[in-house]
Amino acid sequence: MKRILLACASGMSTSILVRKMEEAAEEKGIEAEIWAVAQDKAPSEMERADVLLIGPQMRFMKKKYSKVAEEVGIPLDVIDPVAYGRADGEAVLNKAIELIGE
Amino acid sequence: MNDSKFMQLLENILMPIAEKLNNNRYLTALRDGFMVALPLIIFGSIFVVLANFPFLDRMIGEEAFAAYQSALGPASDATLGIMGTFVIIGIGYKLTQHYGGEAIYGGVVAFAAFLILTPQVLEGVSGVIPTSSLGAEGMFLGIFTAFIAAELYRFFVQKNWTIKMPAGVPEAVSRSFSALIPITMTLTAFILVRIIFSYTPFDTVQNFIYTIIQEPLTALGSGLTATIIIVLLTQVFWFFGLHGQIITNSVMDPIWYALNDQNLQAFQAGTELPNIITKQFIDSFLVGSGGSGMTLSVILLIFIIGKSRQLKEIGRLGAPAGLFNVNEPIIFGLPIIMNPLVLIPWILAPVVATVITYTSMVTGLVPPPAGIIVPWTTPPILNGFLATGNAWQGAVLQLVNILVVMAIWWPFLKLLDKNYYESEKSAK
Repeated sequence: MKRILLACASGMSTSILVRKMEEAAEEKGIEAEIWAVAQDKAPSEMERADVLLIGPQMRFMKKKYSKVAEEVGIPLDVIDPVAYGRADGEAVLNKAIELIGE
Repeated sequence: MNDSKFMQLLENILMPIAEKLNNNRYLTALRDGFMVALPLIIFGSIFVVLANFPFLDRMIGEEAFAAYQSALGPASDATLGIMGTFVIIGIGYKLTQHYGGEAIYGGVVAFAAFLILTPQVLEGVSGVIPTSSLGAEGMFLGIFTAFIAAELYRFFVQKNWTIKMPAGVPEAVSRSFSALIPITMTLTAFILVRIIFSYTPFDTVQNFIYTIIQEPLTALGSGLTATIIIVLLTQVFWFFGLHGQIITNSVMDPIWYALNDQNLQAFQAGTELPNIITKQFIDSFLVGSGGSGMTLSVILLIFIIGKSRQLKEIGRLGAPAGLFNVNEPIIFGLPIIMNPLVLIPWILAPVVATVITYTSMVTGLVPPPAGIIVPWTTPPILNGFLATGNAWQGAVLQLVNILVVMAIWWPFLKLLDKNYYESEKSAK
């Protein structure tokens, strides 16, 4: 089970991506829990996630999140803007799995 | 080559600004504090809309309408009317949480400190706290008070000036005692401040903040020029792929909400609305017309003139979210970010819409926003109707703006579409 957390300003635009990622995961037969939150909720949600992906428009949060991510020991990265714009669920899912690294 | 170097340079300037503004602990607490208050503010706004339902007075008669209004009144009085209260508790909570302290004590100590500084007498009657000072009017004082109270509280907690209970005392009991001394010290400091101010010509801290900070700031924020600058900044941030609205909101929200509240009070009293620029001017007439940059117009235009597969795909993908003013799919998908082809309409369109909206309100063609907080995810047309206090002119204005933005984008989108179309053809 991969637990993938997405974060953006209010968790709205990332939630579009969540749906696409879930579809991609189902197609590939990957068991995954994917959810999106607003920026202020991200630090507390990180504890139960395996990886954090940040919406590109909020990439200035990366440094702040990195500290928390280090504490709970999960990788994080900013979502590729092109994949974000196309709502390319598969690409982002692959990236998440690559970051979790198993 | 030179172009991309210039872009890189600008990004290098903007990125640290965004990071500083967004990671500043006070601005973060301010923004998150407003988030705490937001559901209550929106609840209150919905009831203002209901209480002022158009034509209802003519349908059920003056008397029944008055009874109807006074029955619904407390809903907004208890939320929207005292929104400062929730913002203050929210800020105190969030700032204390940031330091890893017992957040709820940070929230209540901030609120108590604010009440200590607030006049507790109205027209000679003591033991009364005017709700007006708990609303947007008291918000500036509240914001500063919440920052200082939470900082003092943290300071005393970290100094470890607390009463230690012997082992075996229940956790909840020892926790409330551990907060006792820090809270006492913090609130004592505020009592002293209140006493000191009673000897100044300002009489209260409320007066002082209002005269020195709040009034000049809101006056500045209510002007067209300042607004255009803010709109430009927001667009420039977005052009570099940074969430411009979040960044400018973190500075402007206290001002915009205060202006909003002045309008709400006038609207409920049935007097002339004092401000045009308000939170809702930005949220309904700019952001609420498809998202930052009003890109619902771009989506509509894609459906009308789009030939390339890429553009049509983006339009289909972006339309459902765009209707509710979420527009990241378009911003990143078109793409708008770092795309010199669309820089001009991206920056120009919202500025033109700002001028049109402002002008039509200043001339009385369209009523200014009534101070009702319409969630920014409300679809356009409906959004403009509600924001102006159920005025059809507000809906028409949004429609006009959407058409104007389409006209501005038309030549640029046509060019972009042609480029995509030709590269798709040659790819085959």
